[in-house]
Amino acid sequence: MNTNQLILRNLHKNIKNYYLYVFALIFSTALYFAFVTLQYDPAMDETTGSIKGAAAVRVASVLLIAIVAIFLIYANNLFIKRRSKEIGLFQLIGMTKNRIFLILSMENFLVYFGSLLIGTLFGFAVSKLIMMILFKIMGIDQVASLSFSIAAFLQTVGVFTAVYLIIMLVNYLYISRQTILSLFHIKSKTEAREKRISIFEVVIGLFGIGLIALGYYVSSRLFSGDFTSIQELFTVMLFILVSVIIGTYLFYKGSVRFLANLIRKNKGGYLNINQVLSLSSIMFRMKSNALLLTIITTVSALAIGLLSLSYISYYSAGKTAESNTPADFSFVNEEDLSVFTSALKEEGIPFNKETIKVLVAKVKIDDIVNGSAASLPVEDGVLPMPIVSDASIPKLNVGENQILFTGYSDAMKQIVQFSSSGTIVLHTATQSFKQQYMGLAKEDVLSGYFTKGRPTVVVDKALFEKIAQDLNKELQFNADYAGINVQDEDIKIANDIFQSLEGIQRSGNSSQFALLNRQKENMGLIMFIVGFLGLTFLITSGCILYFKQMDEGDEERPNYTILRKLGYTRGDLLKGIQGKQVFNFGIPLIIGLFHSYFAVQSGWFLFGTELWAPMFIVMGLYAGLYSIFGVLSVLYYKKVIRHSL
Amino acid sequence: MTVLEANKIHKSYGNKFTRQEVLKGIDVSIDKGEFLTIMGASGSGKTTLLNVLSSIDRVSHGTIHIEGKELTGRKEKQLAEFRKHHLGFIFQEYNLLDTLTVKENILLPLSITNASKKEANAKFTSVASELGIEDVQHKYPNEISGGQKQRTSAARAFIHEPSIIFADEPTGALDSKSASDLLDKMSELNQKRKATIVMVTHDPVAASYSSRVIFIKDGQIYTRLYKGDQTRSSFLKDIMKTQGVLGGVQYEH
Ligand SMILES: Nc1ncnc2c1ncn2[C@@H]1O[C@H](COP(=O)(O)OP(=O)(O)OP(=O)(O)O)[C@@H](O)[C@H]1O
Ligand SMILES: [Mg+2]
Repeated sequence: MNTNQLILRNLHKNIKNYYLYVFALIFSTALYFAFVTLQYDPAMDETTGSIKGAAAVRVASVLLIAIVAIFLIYANNLFIKRRSKEIGLFQLIGMTKNRIFLILSMENFLVYFGSLLIGTLFGFAVSKLIMMILFKIMGIDQVASLSFSIAAFLQTVGVFTAVYLIIMLVNYLYISRQTILSLFHIKSKTEAREKRISIFEVVIGLFGIGLIALGYYVSSRLFSGDFTSIQELFTVMLFILVSVIIGTYLFYKGSVRFLANLIRKNKGGYLNINQVLSLSSIMFRMKSNALLLTIITTVSALAIGLLSLSYISYYSAGKTAESNTPADFSFVNEEDLSVFTSALKEEGIPFNKETIKVLVAKVKIDDIVNGSAASLPVEDGVLPMPIVSDASIPKLNVGENQILFTGYSDAMKQIVQFSSSGTIVLHTATQSFKQQYMGLAKEDVLSGYFTKGRPTVVVDKALFEKIAQDLNKELQFNADYAGINVQDEDIKIANDIFQSLEGIQRSGNSSQFALLNRQKENMGLIMFIVGFLGLTFLITSGCILYFKQMDEGDEERPNYTILRKLGYTRGDLLKGIQGKQVFNFGIPLIIGLFHSYFAVQSGWFLFGTELWAPMFIVMGLYAGLYSIFGVLSVLYYKKVIRHSL
Repeated sequence: MTVLEANKIHKSYGNKFTRQEVLKGIDVSIDKGEFLTIMGASGSGKTTLLNVLSSIDRVSHGTIHIEGKELTGRKEKQLAEFRKHHLGFIFQEYNLLDTLTVKENILLPLSITNASKKEANAKFTSVASELGIEDVQHKYPNEISGGQKQRTSAARAFIHEPSIIFADEPTGALDSKSASDLLDKMSELNQKRKATIVMVTHDPVAASYSSRVIFIKDGQIYTRLYKGDQTRSSFLKDIMKTQGVLGGVQYEH
């Protein structure tokens, strides 16, 4: 038999082994090609296109290929291990390692580039869908066109060829390092040799937990003002990353094994079926599992964190627009206001109007501020703040000696914390008033033109009059706030009118609707890219776990045969397997969620104003999608068990 | 009293085109407390017969009754339940779980019967010392020798004191000393506890421990030998003679 025949024969025989690898390949090529097609789409053109941000897309495509490369190399490793016996056999009958490598590479070449082609076609098919999603997220009204981009194709082929070469290199190193004997035995090698619970393990595990806790702690201090320069911030971030990742690894390596060992020791060899299938199997592979679990945990944490942050900003877009322009339209100019309202009347659009008189006075706030207020223009604990009368806000009522702050975002709360009560001194030009501070209300009253990120001060009508008598001239706006609200169904037309009237869009006048759209467009692309990468993270890490479980399932099939011969039913076995999968998929998910929670906590306020809702939505979705892989793996085990007798 | 009765069992492998009939109508009946050996050339269907008798595999035709209850046609769950409580196995390939230590492997059948841990440990200690595998109890299967694996497998079959033990070449990987230890242990179980034993072997010496030997050829029973009141050595001679005839080589004095 010559080499060519051997290659074809092998290919034919190994089709079943290959399917896992082929799937990984087709999937990643499709993903990459679709993404790169996007990058070369005319809509992406910096000057003429409707989407700005080609640079972001380019960076993302580099990241994408990095993930994909790791994913493919991992899949290839699993795959070559499955064939170790065959490689050993070739060696046994006297083939040189080089020749085996050649055969394997040829075989691989056919599969690899075949899948690449199929994947490209798939990617082409879904690229329009992806483009449509992007337009939708960004709120762009444009029909996505479908065109095959030669440039994208060449880039895909180039990049994947490079990955192929890397894989070949890995295979070469693998083959040249193996002896005949080790190739035959690779499958039954136990990875957990320690039989005694060593004190060392406990220490390592505890040390890991300590590192994670330290990382969490430092992350909570990240933006508290302890670290100010960018240089410092980066160093600290790097420190957090490294300490959490290493901590996670040590945790898996030490604690998990220690706990498992402890349970097993306690049983004194008397294990029930669930423990046989979960505990012992997990421990049997703890060494490779620790690394894998660390990678999966890190990747999940990264994905959840990034997704949460970008979703926070996307989700907060509405909130941000609202706090900037509490009414549908805000004006600071009488003339512009009357131009707009008469235009609305002409169109027959009903609206209601509120005007609020705004004064500015210096407020001494340092008695009620916890921590630093560096982000606000505070001088000697005194901050000029916009003041309104409670008479102009029907919802709020303030006593004569009282003072209330309102309209302050969750995000600002992270930076400056106000206590819930205290005394405040209000300075007018010549007088000062000592007031009792009543706390912070959420209501947005004024537009961003007046607040500039500060809360609005609400005082009693009488005090407001007194302040008006004694104004500090240079602080005043010389304008009143006016808000126009229209019915929800009229908002689009009203906005068109606002945009079409000449001269009224000057600073201070704003449309909530337009602001929201602008926010969405800005955040949309980032959101899309991060979402795309996050999804890739999710799918690749899910696939890797799934592949690993497939591998384990096939490897443990003889065990299921024995157990079934001994009289355990399929149901018994499946129950044990479920326990094992809860561990394999659940632990990295839970720890990943914790990591991302702390990461998001440390800096979310830089991205938006809402934390909980968007974060929980992202986490829930991620956990849901991720669990699909766990369910799939259980189904796979079910099949293996069914065929095991 | 008959424990196991098989009538006209047929077993074939493969599909319509590659059909190979391995068992062609075998009748066996095994009495309670009997020690039966099945012999025959390699590939003659001994393992297959043992598998169908022990409910691990299904017959193509024919019926099998154990303790009066019909096995054929029963649900897989009921069969599993039955195996769990009444049968013990020593397989030709050692069939140990490589993720478990020797001790854990041996205790496996007990964990279903809700035996207390103390009881389980006591049983383990006695069976492990009798089979000489105490020293390796904390090792994994890939860290022990073939013979040790076979003894582990035997210990697992004995520990829950099943009513029927099926053994496929239990002495295949053992030296003559450990082989006779294992066989002594089996006879002891057979005599003292009235455990029924069905064993497959190539070794006439091992076969001579039993009370009856059946020879299989071409999927059918070729002949039967009874020990009766003979001594073991004269039974051994008979067995060797029949084996010689069966193998086509004339047995010479
Ligand atoms: N699962 C199977 N599928 C197809 N054919 C099988 C299967 N198992 C066994 N056979 C065939 O059935 C015949 C009998 O096999 P069996 O294992 O019963 O032989 P045996 O008597 O135990 O041999 P040995 O002494 O070598 O163990 C053989 O020809 C074998 O090829
Ligand atoms: Mg056999």
